[in-house]
Amino acid sequence: MPATSQATPLLSPDLLARLERLELVSRKVFRGRMKGERRSRRKGQSVEFADFRNYVPGDDLRLIDWNLYARLDQLFLKLFLEEEDLHFYSLIDASESMNFGDPTKLHVAKQLAASLGYVGLCRADRVSVAALGPQGRSAPVLRGRASLWKMFQYLESVESGSNISLYDGVKDFSIRNSGTGVAILLTDLMDKEGYESALRMLVGRRMDVFVMHILSPEEIDPPLRGDRKLIDVEDGDAAEVTINSYVLEKYKQTVQSFIGSIKTFCSRRSIVYIPVRTDTPVETIVTRYLRERGVVR
Amino acid sequence: MLSPLQFALLSLVPIGIVVLYFLKLRREPVEVPSTFLWARTIEDLHVNSLLQKLRRNVLLLLQLLAVLLAVFALLRPGQRGQDADQGRIVFLLDTSASMQATDVDGDESRFEKARRMIRERIDAVSANESLMLVTFSDRPEVLQSFTTDRGRIRDALDRAEVTNHPTDVFGALKAADGLANPRRSSELGDVNDIQVADAMPADLLIYSDGRFDEVSEFDLGNLVPDYIPIGTKDVSNIAITAFSAERNVEKPSEVQAFATIVNLGTDAISSTATLSWDDDKLSRSEAFRDAETVSLEPGEQVGLTFTLESEEAVSLRLALEVDDDLVIDNVAFAGLTPMRTVSVLLVTPGNKPLELGLRTEKAAKICIPQDVLPSYLESDEYKARAEAGLDDLIIFDRCSPSRMPNTNTFFIGALPPDMTLLPEDAEEDAGDETAAAEVQESDASDTAAESATGSPEDDSDPTPQNEGWSWATDPASVVLIDMDRTHPLMRFVEVFSLLIFNGRAIDGPPGSVELIGADIGPMLTVAPRAGFQDLVLGFEIVSTDAEGNPQTNTNWFAERSWPVFVLNVLRYLAGAAESSGAPSFQPGQTVQLRLESAIVDAKFRRIGGSSQTVSTGPSGLTEIVETEEAGNYRVESEDTLADLFSVNLFARSESDIAVADDVVFGYETVEGTTGGVEKRIEYWRWLLLIMLVLLGAEWWVYSRRVA
Repeated sequence: MPATSQATPLLSPDLLARLERLELVSRKVFRGRMKGERRSRRKGQSVEFADFRNYVPGDDLRLIDWNLYARLDQLFLKLFLEEEDLHFYSLIDASESMNFGDPTKLHVAKQLAASLGYVGLCRADRVSVAALGPQGRSAPVLRGRASLWKMFQYLESVESGSNISLYDGVKDFSIRNSGTGVAILLTDLMDKEGYESALRMLVGRRMDVFVMHILSPEEIDPPLRGDRKLIDVEDGDAAEVTINSYVLEKYKQTVQSFIGSIKTFCSRRSIVYIPVRTDTPVETIVTRYLRERGVVR
Repeated sequence: MLSPLQFALLSLVPIGIVVLYFLKLRREPVEVPSTFLWARTIEDLHVNSLLQKLRRNVLLLLQLLAVLLAVFALLRPGQRGQDADQGRIVFLLDTSASMQATDVDGDESRFEKARRMIRERIDAVSANESLMLVTFSDRPEVLQSFTTDRGRIRDALDRAEVTNHPTDVFGALKAADGLANPRRSSELGDVNDIQVADAMPADLLIYSDGRFDEVSEFDLGNLVPDYIPIGTKDVSNIAITAFSAERNVEKPSEVQAFATIVNLGTDAISSTATLSWDDDKLSRSEAFRDAETVSLEPGEQVGLTFTLESEEAVSLRLALEVDDDLVIDNVAFAGLTPMRTVSVLLVTPGNKPLELGLRTEKAAKICIPQDVLPSYLESDEYKARAEAGLDDLIIFDRCSPSRMPNTNTFFIGALPPDMTLLPEDAEEDAGDETAAAEVQESDASDTAAESATGSPEDDSDPTPQNEGWSWATDPASVVLIDMDRTHPLMRFVEVFSLLIFNGRAIDGPPGSVELIGADIGPMLTVAPRAGFQDLVLGFEIVSTDAEGNPQTNTNWFAERSWPVFVLNVLRYLAGAAESSGAPSFQPGQTVQLRLESAIVDAKFRRIGGSSQTVSTGPSGLTEIVETEEAGNYRVESEDTLADLFSVNLFARSESDIAVADDVVFGYETVEGTTGGVEKRIEYWRWLLLIMLVLLGAEWWVYSRRVA
């Protein structure tokens, strides 16, 4: 059932302080674009020349190869083999179904995205927090702690209602972002078209994929009884059901079965599946659950 | 049972409930994030959706159960059953005295057993049968007319009470007959023919011991009788069937009590008959008078006689010390009336000794005297009271009325008037008589003047003389020589020492009795007169001298025998004492008593009970209806006993309590049946109760929002 918008701040100062001590963990070594604190295959500022790449505003000017500029009239950076930054993508499902619960799933997703994004910013990782769908096009690419306010600003502007399928949303993201990195998908996976295609796409992009499956307690154990006409908030689809203890039991089994199938799918594709309940504090999720699963350390 | 069509209709009810259950569903719309998982859940259930809707649907189950119970209840399931053939039942319940017998096992008495059996029968009949309850003893009482309401008939049955009355079943049969057998028919549609009700045949169930006379002149007609005998044939009962008390005429102070005792059981019985005063102020030992042992074989009877001494009113109680099957006939009551309080009119110009004699202590207990002058005899008031006979005794002292009153009379120094005269002649003579009376007074005064010499005066008395009564001699001195001591008037009276200065011998009418004889002839004579008695004394007690002053004619008033004689006159002539015993009535009878005219309001009570007020009519007639209980009853006025009577069963037919095998109504003999009833226990009430509980549970479940 839809809930009101959350007026509480996304991250508390205490949480921010704790997040500074964390760092994002990737199970793969990616080629980052900027100097980071990670070993990368990419060339960096070391004695060993590795490669050139195009200049991007914000890059270190000392690494500009002026000779190439003189010849080609284009700015290039010399890259040397060294540790590079991580590209961290938080993909937020902003469909109408996320606007459910108290706090809403969308709010929890924002909080998680902000938390992980802050960890990345503190480590000078390249952070991209974007909502799936049209709202993701205006998502900024951030780096450095100073970009925190931009991230919060963007997250505050994200609203539910973009009833785009997961697959279409991920596809749109993939078109706009050709790089790889860590992709954390914050969603309830309540997509009638299925989640498999979207996840496969992310895996195909050689992303280090994490799925945070956000569900509210009312979805896991609905407090519904009697003769009901259930209306889907996304497509208006109606389902008439007489809810009794037996039907309820069956629904719970369906939920568990659904979760089980997701786990199986993810484990086969090296996707880390993290179930999240909206009634669990974000601090607990980030500092304990994500740490246990190796998302942060 | 229901017809097939009714069954079919009823079977549609649960189906309708199920259909309505599905149709009536109004689902509350609820927004959910996604019906994705719900759809998956519903899909699994979709295969058996119909059954799934019904599965574990408590509400629907309860509703179906409730309807099924209601349908089942309408079928009125029960165990066995017994229908009346006629559709109507008349219960005749015997409430006579014999139904108090205790020869039944398991019940307090025959009556209680009959009541229980009727109650069981009421429970067993079907709902559409009409029932009627009539009780009978010596009179019928319709406690409940035809009704199908079981509650009303049971209430009426609870109100029924056994009585001490004998039995007369005829009235009860008439009550039932009136409904079943209308005496005439009518033509339907004929406006000139008064429409009467159709005959309503009925089963007639008679719960009785059959101790009543054959009802020969009765036709059952549309009544179908069934006699249920209550009681046994082997009984033990000894009864007092007669008990009375009388005063010895020769010795009024002696009381004799007579009793008849009979063994109406099937075994020999020995018992002690105890006679005692029936007085609630006396202890048992103080009240005891006499006892006698009786031993009787079955059917044998014996008479007992007891002798007591008492001048006062007596109430006696005779009891058989035995524990048999019927106790009401083991006790009998009898009484003797007391000295009556009589009203005496004294017509005299002045007679102090007589006036005092009527007001002695003993006389005052039984007499209410009124003194008037001879001129009163001319008044309309006197004529009216003489005609009505309001007085118990009129004493004419030296005077005579023109016409004899309708009561006993006592003439002193005068004769009764000529009864052969016509009334108008009598009135003329009355006028003459008044003058004659005055002349007589003057003569008396002349006589008084000559009283010293005792010479009788010449008779120029114009007093008219009764054909039967006449002076036998001229006035002369009197010497009493003879007396009838056996006569109640002369009891305890000694007259031979009397001095009588002047008197006349009397010739009485046929049938007269000489009580005192003098040398000159009869001096005191009593004669009958059309149910009354007239006493005539040939000499005056007080006479008048020539100056008109009163003077004595005798010294009798100074003798001890004078007040005794006056008392005897009050007792015998005025009726203050009777020799016969108090009457005995059966329980429930209306008792009519004629009290003394002097009594206006009286109270009556059964000895051992409380008092009730009863009013008397203008002629002293009183009716007492509260006579249900056997015992001695006393009627009192201003703490003085006015009358008494007793109530006893004294019905041999009631005391012969062996149950009858059959009863006879007209030409039909009805054999007794066991009266046992195959109970029909219907459960529909319980089913409906369970249904109500289920409906309550369904409401509770629904309110808890658990389907």
